[in-house]
Amino acid sequence: MNEGLVVLVRSIIAFFSLLIFTRIIGKEQISQLTFFDYVLGITIGSIAASLTTDLSSRAWPHWVGLITWAALGFLMEIITLKWRYAAKVLEGEPDIVIMNGKILEKTLKKSKYRVSDILELLRNQGIFDLNEVNYAIMESNGRLSVLKKPEHQPLTPNDMNIQVKDKGISTELIYDGILFTENLKQVGKDESWLMDQLKSQGINNISEVFLATINPEGNLYIDKYDDHLQKAIDIGDYKGPF
Amino acid sequence: MRKFMVIAIPLFSLLIFVGIMLSGDFLKKPLGNYDDIPGSINELIQTVQSEKWDEAGIKVKELNAKWKRIVNRVQFSSERDEINFFSMSLARLEGAILVKDKINAVMELKEAYEHWDQLGQ
Repeated sequence: MNEGLVVLVRSIIAFFSLLIFTRIIGKEQISQLTFFDYVLGITIGSIAASLTTDLSSRAWPHWVGLITWAALGFLMEIITLKWRYAAKVLEGEPDIVIMNGKILEKTLKKSKYRVSDILELLRNQGIFDLNEVNYAIMESNGRLSVLKKPEHQPLTPNDMNIQVKDKGISTELIYDGILFTENLKQVGKDESWLMDQLKSQGINNISEVFLATINPEGNLYIDKYDDHLQKAIDIGDYKGPF
Repeated sequence: MRKFMVIAIPLFSLLIFVGIMLSGDFLKKPLGNYDDIPGSINELIQTVQSEKWDEAGIKVKELNAKWKRIVNRVQFSSERDEINFFSMSLARLEGAILVKDKINAVMELKEAYEHWDQLGQ
């Protein structure tokens, strides 16, 4: 028995099975995961690891375990999507931990959070004074959402009755020296226009450009490979190996 | 077409994976006389019982060669322990035939058959 070869084949099976199952389960990001999703992910990963290296048992039972966990995870996701009551039971619901500036101790105790945890989560959001907080809600994914008291909220153009233009999002035109003609068409420009713009910035060839984007107002951002910087600022605080 | 490929490729991959993982029971079956392990075991039992030790010595070497051929086919879908146990049984069987120990030789052959039966299941 060639154990290395068997592990290689099993790794390929586990890797692509895991890839397919996770794509089916959903696109939730780590930050959106509930505690159960997190545990589900760890368990599925652990089964995949056993599938790969535990040669004392056949791959098949591990794979059945893997697909069962993935299927149950998928089923839970469907149930929570379709049935709001089940979602509350399975995923939990947001808890108000600060209301009208008052800390709700009972809720804190129920969700097993200490005041120091809440203060830390507030500091993460740039709030160092509890007096600024009107409402704080502990979301089911463990993140704290905060509504500041009106007098501590940042001033917006709307408060000042100022009209602002919608800036929209930028579109990539060149990346790594390659021109995206579809994107160029999408923004209503052509290659000759782009070449004129590049030439006006002293660029004769697209391959000199690392990244070029255009915003809805037609402003180009261009970054060349050659940065012409005398000396890049080193933000490291100690001398490293590189 | 693109949507079809997005569904078909993962589905096809999963089917191949399942095929590989469940192939042991199928691949261990003999394709000819050159890899017929159960046939060889039965022949060896008869040879040992009639105490033809020289013939048994040759046949056990043949069985070893057949086993090596089969291992390559079933290794991806079988337990390592079952494979190792079968190999150990063969080694002990060789020893029993060498010292002309009929009882142990038959015991090892029966055990080897049992490991063979469990292989890939």
